Amino acid sequence: MNQDLWVALFIIAAGTYLLRVIPLIWMQRKLIQHEKKGSVKPPPDWLTVLGPTMISAMFGASLVPAHPTFAAWIATALGMLATVAVWVRTRSMGLPTLSGVFVFGVIIVLFG
Amino acid sequence: MTTATSQDIFSPWKQGVKDALPLFGGYIPVAISFGLISVQSGFGVLETILISLFIYAGASQFLFVAMVASGAPMSLVVIMTLLINARHIVYAPNIAPYLGKDRRWLFLMHGLTDQLFALSLARLPQIAKADRIAWYTCTAMLAWFSWVAGTAIGAIAGDEITQRWPVINDVLPFALPALFLVLVAPRCNNRLWTLTLGASAVLALSLRLVGYPNLAIPVAALSGAVVFYALQTGKARGKTV
Repeated sequence: MNQDLWVALFIIAAGTYLLRVIPLIWMQRKLIQHEKKGSVKPPPDWLTVLGPTMISAMFGASLVPAHPTFAAWIATALGMLATVAVWVRTRSMGLPTLSGVFVFGVIIVLFG
Repeated sequence: MTTATSQDIFSPWKQGVKDALPLFGGYIPVAISFGLISVQSGFGVLETILISLFIYAGASQFLFVAMVASGAPMSLVVIMTLLINARHIVYAPNIAPYLGKDRRWLFLMHGLTDQLFALSLARLPQIAKADRIAWYTCTAMLAWFSWVAGTAIGAIAGDEITQRWPVINDVLPFALPALFLVLVAPRCNNRLWTLTLGASAVLALSLRLVGYPNLAIPVAALSGAVVFYALQTGKARGKTV
């Protein structure tokens, strides 16, 4: 890897870290200012909406199978159903995820 | 008494391990693919591992390797990868009210990936204030380790692994949509949020299908927020009329 690439790698790594940490510093300062004034101000409204929509968008984007065959789409749909069904019963994270992967995997192995 | 205290000390760590497990299924196969593609694109094993260690952002790492391999100008490589990662801006402010003032959080933000943000937003409010940093440290470190270890495995033996056990690549990545679904589901407890989150998921899926994988998440998230405000405004107007 030549020197230019190392510099690019450093800038991207530092930039990515700053994109993650600067908003925290900004928000922490805001929270401290409000605390000093004696008021508890929650994050701005648009942020509390954008957080869940980001997660939902990640969910939608991650639904596309690596090899989008008919069997893979059926496996995706049934895997999702299994995840929801177990989540409704357990309201936990691990078991529904595992069940979804299991159902998806069985269909892929059998018909994929 | 001693047992009770030890349990109190270790429980956030145990919970962190438990919560990080679904991430492994999603991270390791993708990291193996990244390691393999990076080496095939001309990067060395150590360089590939360092990319995962320091950038630690999946989509931008794939783009970085692909653009460098295609001979793109370095300035464009930097701009494009940082643009893809710009979505991270909204993550920390969302979880900041649960973090407190401890300075260690600043260092821990390196681990705030898409998945860890989703997990933190759901889990942090349920964890006692004093235990949050232990839970986050454990979950973030395990996720980071799995990403770097997966990259190393991919760079060293990815070709052999994907040929011998193709099921790893085909099945385990399903852990990510399953995990996201579990994180989104509790929010769908009224019509407003169900329609908002449904709209952003469907739009992201559609954008990904028509060939815009990098735009899918930010555009769908912003559109989801627009849907939220449109529905809220419509509801308020309906009440006044």
